[in-house]
Amino acid sequence: MTLWARVRSWTRAMLGRSRMEREMEEEMRFHMEARAADLASRGVSQPDALRQARLEFGGVQITKEECRDAVGVSFIETLMQDVRHGVRAMWRTPVFTITAVVVLALGIGANTAIFSVVDAVLLKPLAYRDSGRLVTILMNGEDPVSAANYIDWRDQSHSFTAMGAAEYWSPNVTGDGAPAEHIEGLKVTQNVFPMLGIEPMLGRLFVEGEDKDGADREVILSYRLWQRRFSSDPNVLGKPVLLDGTAYVVVGVMPPGFQFTPFWATHAEAWAPNAFGERIHDRGGNNLRIFARLKDGVSLAQARAEIAGITGRLEQQFPATNRNVVVTPLKERVVGHIETPLLVLLGAVGFVLMITCANVAHMLLARAATRRKEVALRAALGARRGRLIRQFLTESLLLGGLGGALGLALAILGTRVLIAMSPGNVPRVQTVSVDGHAALFLLAATILTSVGFGLVPALQASSVNVNDLLKEGARGTGEGFRKSRLRSLLVISEFALALMLLIGAGLMIRTFAALQAVDAGFNPHNVISMMVSVAGSKEADGGRRTVFYHQLLERVRSLPGVEFAGAINHLPLAGDTWGWSFLIEGRAKPRPGETPTAIYRIVTPGYFETMRLPLIRGREVTEADTVNAPGIVMINERAAQEFWPGEDPIGKRISFDDDKANPRTWLTIIGVSRNAKQEDWVASPFPEVYLAAFQNKEFLSSPKSYMAYITVVARTAGDPVSVATAMKEAAWSFDRNLTVSQVVTMEGVVAEATAQPRFEMLLLSIFAGVALVLASVGIYGVISYSASRRTHEIGVRISLGATRTQVLLLIARQGMYLALVGSLAGIAGSLLLSRIMAKLLYGVQPTDPATFAVVASVLGVVAVLACYLPARRAMRVDPVAALRCE
Amino acid sequence: MDQQLELLQGTLDMLILKAVSLSPLHGYGILLRIEQISKERLEIQQGSLYPALYRLQHQGWIASEWGESENKRRARYYRLTAAGKKRLQSETKRWNQMTAVIAGILDATPEEL
Repeated sequence: MTLWARVRSWTRAMLGRSRMEREMEEEMRFHMEARAADLASRGVSQPDALRQARLEFGGVQITKEECRDAVGVSFIETLMQDVRHGVRAMWRTPVFTITAVVVLALGIGANTAIFSVVDAVLLKPLAYRDSGRLVTILMNGEDPVSAANYIDWRDQSHSFTAMGAAEYWSPNVTGDGAPAEHIEGLKVTQNVFPMLGIEPMLGRLFVEGEDKDGADREVILSYRLWQRRFSSDPNVLGKPVLLDGTAYVVVGVMPPGFQFTPFWATHAEAWAPNAFGERIHDRGGNNLRIFARLKDGVSLAQARAEIAGITGRLEQQFPATNRNVVVTPLKERVVGHIETPLLVLLGAVGFVLMITCANVAHMLLARAATRRKEVALRAALGARRGRLIRQFLTESLLLGGLGGALGLALAILGTRVLIAMSPGNVPRVQTVSVDGHAALFLLAATILTSVGFGLVPALQASSVNVNDLLKEGARGTGEGFRKSRLRSLLVISEFALALMLLIGAGLMIRTFAALQAVDAGFNPHNVISMMVSVAGSKEADGGRRTVFYHQLLERVRSLPGVEFAGAINHLPLAGDTWGWSFLIEGRAKPRPGETPTAIYRIVTPGYFETMRLPLIRGREVTEADTVNAPGIVMINERAAQEFWPGEDPIGKRISFDDDKANPRTWLTIIGVSRNAKQEDWVASPFPEVYLAAFQNKEFLSSPKSYMAYITVVARTAGDPVSVATAMKEAAWSFDRNLTVSQVVTMEGVVAEATAQPRFEMLLLSIFAGVALVLASVGIYGVISYSASRRTHEIGVRISLGATRTQVLLLIARQGMYLALVGSLAGIAGSLLLSRIMAKLLYGVQPTDPATFAVVASVLGVVAVLACYLPARRAMRVDPVAALRCE
Repeated sequence: MDQQLELLQGTLDMLILKAVSLSPLHGYGILLRIEQISKERLEIQQGSLYPALYRLQHQGWIASEWGESENKRRARYYRLTAAGKKRLQSETKRWNQMTAVIAGILDATPEEL
């Protein structure tokens, strides 16, 4: 019960503070009087007895203080005292206080904001039950697989409690009176949702058997789709909804915030059962993404080994399938690509905080110097060293606390800005908020920072030699070596950190410039796109599509401001890339797995002209290439090099590998275009084929929604955005049931493709800029402080004949030396970090000498300026005044 | 009178516990009791008694209440608590072991080594 006794004694002491004081007083008085009475009874005279009793007792005040300490009262007492003292001190030096608080708030706020992003995006588990056990099983770790292979893996493996598949689906919602809408969705096997451990908000999940053929007409809605399209109707269950013209029954609504999948088709708003039909025998059509949950006790390595074994056997059985199948933890698949950039940003913003700390430490050191007399006086009056350190630390914590509070506001603002400017490929960014984790981080950062910048000045100020100081008086005769060494160390580290940040920013700027210099192949300036889907509308009819596409293009061409228009199935960079295998006429049948493949695109006449995608050889697709004309195809430069090296591909013929017609349809190559960017901005181009839209029967009549759309591109005379509305109206003028989406400018598409490096560049540049300002303020402060402390010395030097230039150099040299050492340390640090940085770079080496040189010289110039100003002031010292003021 | 000994570091707490274990005492009484038992061979800094008393009370080994002294004055009396009693026993045991060990070491003769 001693803990209880302690608490009781402490609370009694705290609550009954005055009573405790009174009783302590009475108790000790009783002691001394009793002692005096004893002494008197032994013959000591009355006044002497009391005096002797007091002497024997010792210092009453110190005894009381020790009693208070024993009960722990004095801790709080002292704290309150220190806080009062600290507030007074801050109040007396408002400029110092405001500067320190603002600088700290920026540092802490920026760190908290970035941490919030890192926490929400990288650290928090995915929002599924026990999500750490979920994995994806994909070809090459990212590509989809075929149904037959999935079924074999599912049936042969024992490492998983469940294995499910998801397939992309983008139906048009029609038939409910509202304008048609193109949505993203997924077709999933029945076991996917139970595997995720998610319950629907309304209704039910799919039940066993619903992913069989003919029983697959149920749909589960996302919360947002339910809100938007069904006005949050609580009786939505059981109602029919037309998706691509097929009736589905709503069986469930997912809770708000539910997202599946988390890394691909992330905007999916509807889920339907996936009936494989004939595809259960298909090993070629790769369109399923596989998800699985590891069994308890099964490690990732074991699961990988098992899948490797199964796919190895299948590959022998079915050559060219089941190659390089990789089991990846789901979370890694979601955030893996963004991990390094975010950690680099977190590190960078941490550097900013360290510089902030160093700067505030400078300021405190300078202030502590002016308070040396106060400290000395207190020490002389009996304040112990620990007590002084505590007081200084309390003051630092006060400053830090204010900085942290303001930093919290900045962090909330900062996360909003970060969310708004973050590139589209950052997963879970919509969940970023300054929450409990962030608040804890902020608290920890505040305390660490406060101790960080406060401890050194506190230790130093409290270690003064009382005698020396009081003798020396208030006059500055320069600082001790140790003190200036510490200050120098702070400046050196500031410069080192600033240089590292500047190099990071410089490398990102060069990366971004290199990315900007990458040629898209086409000219994205003044081009706007619009995807029109006919699925679910009356234009979907096989016979009507040709006419409609022609008329749509005509109408777009006739819009004011539009110069050219054409169309393609999938827009480069923004659209899908479908790979198709083909055979080359006159060549031996390729071995399995070595069939030539190319990205498959379908274009209308005018596409190349509109995109300004130049033709290298031959001719383009024209209006003459109709269903009745001989089959033609265009290829890109890369395909020409890959499949006809040293030959002229024009006039050669190819045929699609899966062509079931007998005899095969041979397509004659009529032209070679330049390589255009395909999926990834920096990837090297992949072979590509362009088919003529108006002779492609599937494109013109397939009932499948994935073939029933076209992406119109228009080149405008002026701002392409100005024709966006007119373009949409042009489409809707045919039929309100047409869904129009992806109305974007090609420049926007290109910008999106480089959004991540731009984001990284922007943030690193901001951090580096702040670091540069802080570091230069730091060096300026140190040099001007040291110059002012050396006024007397300078006066002596000048009166002994030193020239002004010599004085200037004397002062500036010190600062330049620090800047130089700091820069060297920073260069060393940058070299150490170059391996990590390399992952963010493109077209520039992490050790790029030019960047290092430019950054070092920028920093050098800033250092020179920061040293020159105080040095010039020192140079102008009037020796007479300087000596007299002694 | 024998030469007075200075109190060994850390032993005051033990002596206080022992003193109040016999009967409740006020601070001055504790001082007198220790002097009396030690036959005035121990010198205790009087002021140092009180921080020790406050600490022991804070730790729950002793408790206090106000009462009346022999000469009808208000005085604070300290008494041993149950926890304090255990503490005193274990401290006493530890002390005896310690002194035995140290005495053994100091009494050692070259032949024994």
